[in-house]
Amino acid sequence: MNAEIKMKQATRFAGQKENVLSRRAHVKAEDFSVFYGNFEAVKQVRCEFAEGLVTSMIGPSGCGKSTLLRAINRMNDLIPSCRAGGTMTFDGEDIYRKDIDVVSLRMRVGMVFQKPNVFPKSIYDNIAYGPRLQGISNRNQLDGIVESSLKQAAIWDEVKDRLNTNALGMSGGQQQRLCLARALAVKPEILLMDEPTSALDPKATAKIEDLIGQLRGQYTIIIVTHNMQQAARVSDLTAFMYEGTLVEFGETRQIFTRPQQKQTEDYITGRFG
Amino acid sequence: MLENSSTIQKRSLVMSKSTSRWRQLWAALGQGFLFSVTSLSTLTVFFIFYFIAKDAFPFFKLEGFKEFFTSTHWYPSGHPAEFGAMSIFFGTGLVTLGAVVVAVPLGVAAAVCLSDVLPFNVRQIVKPVIEILAAIPSVAYGFFALVVFAPLLQNNGGAVLSIGAWLILAPILALLVVVLSDLIADRCPDAARKVVRWGCGLALGAAALTGMILLGNHLRGIEIISGANALNVSIILGIMALPTVVSVSEDALQACGRELREGSYALGATRAETIVKTVLPASVSGILAAVILGVMRAIGETMVVWMASGNAARIPEPWFNMLQPVRTLTATIAGDMGEADHVTGSARFHVLFAMAFCLLTFSFVMNLASEAIVRRSRKKLGK
Amino acid sequence: MRLETRKLLDRAFSGTGVIAIGVMALALVVILAPIIGKGTGAFVFRSTIEHRKVMFDQWGRGTPERVEADKAPAAAARQPVYDMLAAFAAELDEMPRADRRPYKTPVRDLEKALEELFGPAPGQRTPVLIRQQYGATRWDRTKIKLGELLFTEQWDYSNPDALGVLVKTPRSEQFKETSLEPLFDYVDENIEAIMRPRLTFYWQFLFDTSKDSHIFGGIGPEVLGTLYLTLGAMIFAIPMGVIAAIYLCEYAREGRVVSFLRICISTLAGVPSIVFGLFGLAFFLNTIHISDSKSVLAGSLTLSLLILPTVIRASEEAILAVPKAYKEAALSLGAGRWHTVLTVILPAALPGILTGVVISMGRAAGETAPIIFTAAVSVGRPLLPMQTLSQPTPALPWNIYNLCTEHEAVDEIRHVQYGMVFTLVALVLLLNVFAIVMRARISKKLRG
Repeated sequence: MNAEIKMKQATRFAGQKENVLSRRAHVKAEDFSVFYGNFEAVKQVRCEFAEGLVTSMIGPSGCGKSTLLRAINRMNDLIPSCRAGGTMTFDGEDIYRKDIDVVSLRMRVGMVFQKPNVFPKSIYDNIAYGPRLQGISNRNQLDGIVESSLKQAAIWDEVKDRLNTNALGMSGGQQQRLCLARALAVKPEILLMDEPTSALDPKATAKIEDLIGQLRGQYTIIIVTHNMQQAARVSDLTAFMYEGTLVEFGETRQIFTRPQQKQTEDYITGRFG
Repeated sequence: MLENSSTIQKRSLVMSKSTSRWRQLWAALGQGFLFSVTSLSTLTVFFIFYFIAKDAFPFFKLEGFKEFFTSTHWYPSGHPAEFGAMSIFFGTGLVTLGAVVVAVPLGVAAAVCLSDVLPFNVRQIVKPVIEILAAIPSVAYGFFALVVFAPLLQNNGGAVLSIGAWLILAPILALLVVVLSDLIADRCPDAARKVVRWGCGLALGAAALTGMILLGNHLRGIEIISGANALNVSIILGIMALPTVVSVSEDALQACGRELREGSYALGATRAETIVKTVLPASVSGILAAVILGVMRAIGETMVVWMASGNAARIPEPWFNMLQPVRTLTATIAGDMGEADHVTGSARFHVLFAMAFCLLTFSFVMNLASEAIVRRSRKKLGK
Repeated sequence: MRLETRKLLDRAFSGTGVIAIGVMALALVVILAPIIGKGTGAFVFRSTIEHRKVMFDQWGRGTPERVEADKAPAAAARQPVYDMLAAFAAELDEMPRADRRPYKTPVRDLEKALEELFGPAPGQRTPVLIRQQYGATRWDRTKIKLGELLFTEQWDYSNPDALGVLVKTPRSEQFKETSLEPLFDYVDENIEAIMRPRLTFYWQFLFDTSKDSHIFGGIGPEVLGTLYLTLGAMIFAIPMGVIAAIYLCEYAREGRVVSFLRICISTLAGVPSIVFGLFGLAFFLNTIHISDSKSVLAGSLTLSLLILPTVIRASEEAILAVPKAYKEAALSLGAGRWHTVLTVILPAALPGILTGVVISMGRAAGETAPIIFTAAVSVGRPLLPMQTLSQPTPALPWNIYNLCTEHEAVDEIRHVQYGMVFTLVALVLLLNVFAIVMRARISKKLRG
């Protein structure tokens, strides 16, 4: 594996001249930890996710990157025995405070999962699910949202003639883009992606990556990935985690060309992980 | 060591012909034995069908079908004997329906609570409660229905009914009032919203309260002639069917997986919305199977209905009056066989087998239906 | 909808679930509480002198001296009652015939009430039925009988719109200004001295035979009968069930035949229990004449068919839960298929199979409908093991039904009924708790 080659790919989206680190922090973790029972899966992480940029989190399996991602919309609440320490702020609010409304939080922080998890309903109902929860019942309005979300997810042309068929009949790649559209329909500010392409073939993966590029700027995107080329291709910033700690965080270009930490270098050059 | 190993003769990989033949014979024999025991035990079900049908057939030959299914005159020991079992079929249906009304809402709510609401360690305590509820012998339930519950209904029937109605309806109505007034207020302009909400809430609440009081007073005035009636049996049967409904529907709810739930939560759905809008629709066939199994449990139950249903072979007046005694197929079989056994070969003996045959056919069809439903739903979820 | 309303609904939804669970737990408590509360009353209760007399006369429990010492003070306390009756008889003799007549029935009723409370009067000829030879044996029954002595009960139907109303009038009013009037106060005040209640632990209830159709004694034959039926059912069901499970899990190739067998099993599981009873009657008794009349053997066979699907499923689950690695390890060491099953799979699956077996044992013990026509009789002696092949037996579930619906003195023997239900429920629950604990240990072991 040659870091130089990867670097060239990385510049495709992340090659802007601006100093990405100077952007406003949309999500901020301060000494943030997550425990499963007594096991500390995320250890006192301290980092900022900049608004409007794509941040990828890389690291070997079990390093806590998915856990950290799921902590941002408090998806971990669903797992018994899981609790958080430290602070995680979103738009300046500590989201683990007692009076935080998880439901509103999740409407503002969308998420796409590892395995496409479409509901066993029609394509239309899948997209309209979120807007309907918010009380939108006007058919025209819903039609508009469904169309625009599907278009944003670049799947409109493929499904516009069969909006009322069951979504389970679609291919894996289509399902994943539908999930993306479903998340976009709620009009979130942040998109969390938990290894969104790990269950897809290379062609479908490329489509998702293209989409991420198009959504950059409109949304703050945080993506967990196993695939280092993917991180290099799509993200502005990269975080490397190892055994629960955030080892290194910085511009993607810098991480892949001049890693400051020995562990990061070992990982990206394929010596472990 | 080395010397030793060199002296060990290497096992030949090729069996001699006779060994091979013996081995094959033994294996075939063993497998044949296993297969025949298995078939014997599973094919019992055909024995049951055959022997019940064999003794049911003479009844239809002697008396025909028409009277049995369409008449309500059940006088098997009269002269001439009459075998109109319609009221008995009706009693079975009424009691089963009552049991379903008790068991399904409670059971599904409990299953949802078990699979999605309660934390793991509480679940570990609740599960044994369900198992114990399932384990209590039916005769003990029957004893409770006859000795404890029936006298209570007979002596304080009105009070029991009105308290029951209050407990069930009051929370539902309260919620309904809140939601309705909220929905109405949603359609109003912003300024008036608060006023409309409160106004609607108060008006609807007052209406609901008046209705409840009137209903409560009406129920309090009812006097129950006999505590051994369809209501008593339905409630007890419902409790007996609960464990089946709960565990089967909980399995169905669990089967639709965490990914689906996470997908919904991530879109900002509350727990109730997640369950009502995604989990329940996805597991509806499994829940249907649970309901069918619950129905089968209630319909096949003998002791409770025999002891506490009153055993009156007539259709209540009006037909939905649960406070009157009824009679079911199972209770008739259990109760009449004692007398009919002495007259083996008569229509009176065979009519009980005819009833058993109806029960058997029904449960067979229901069973096939539930199997088919479960299988189809598994396929649909891709598992 | 507003977010607050959505959240309210959400909370109400969770609340409904919790309430449903609560209702379920409440139902369990409400059903078990009277059974356990009153059922223990068959074993531990305040017995009167009459109970101790029964125990001594019928079962030879206690020494003659102690029973005499117990009886004497009670007899002394009763003497004034009989004196008063004698005095009243003398008083009646002196009355003119017309005055005498209205007392005739009340006196007879009074004497009957006294007999039910105290047993026969001294010097009276011993009655034939055992139940007439003794008074109230339990303190709770004593209080009811005392009430019947002190008050007469009449139903008042004067209001045609409502149901009848029970009216109680003191019996002493019938004997106003006679020598019997003080009798009622005397008995009421000295009832403890007359009956001598004492807390007793009658554990022999579980083993004693019953006298005079369960009015005295225990439930020994029923307990024994239930054990015979249950064990008999297990003897047939376990080998069949386990073999079927082994075949289905280890040998059968998934295909038409196996899925057909599986449908048969699930159909068998859905057959109503009363139909099993009819089948037992039609097949075991009327067709192959396994015994001349109902018998434990026929009942056990019928029960074994009933629990067969449960045993098969439990064993299948246990066998499937055995890690594949065990099997592969055994096969890789050169063990044959059959050898692997016997030495590796079955031992590993044994606790799981046992759990299922124990649960179905509880089911077999509690089932009534299948044994009505095949094995159960209302009254019988405890059987010897060999007799089970040809003779019917009393059994707990059937006798519970029988005693609380068909017995001639249903209210007198509530404690026996509750005692039986309690024993049966306790037996079944013990088996289930055993199974639950065992399963918890297995799953702990599997988790590592």
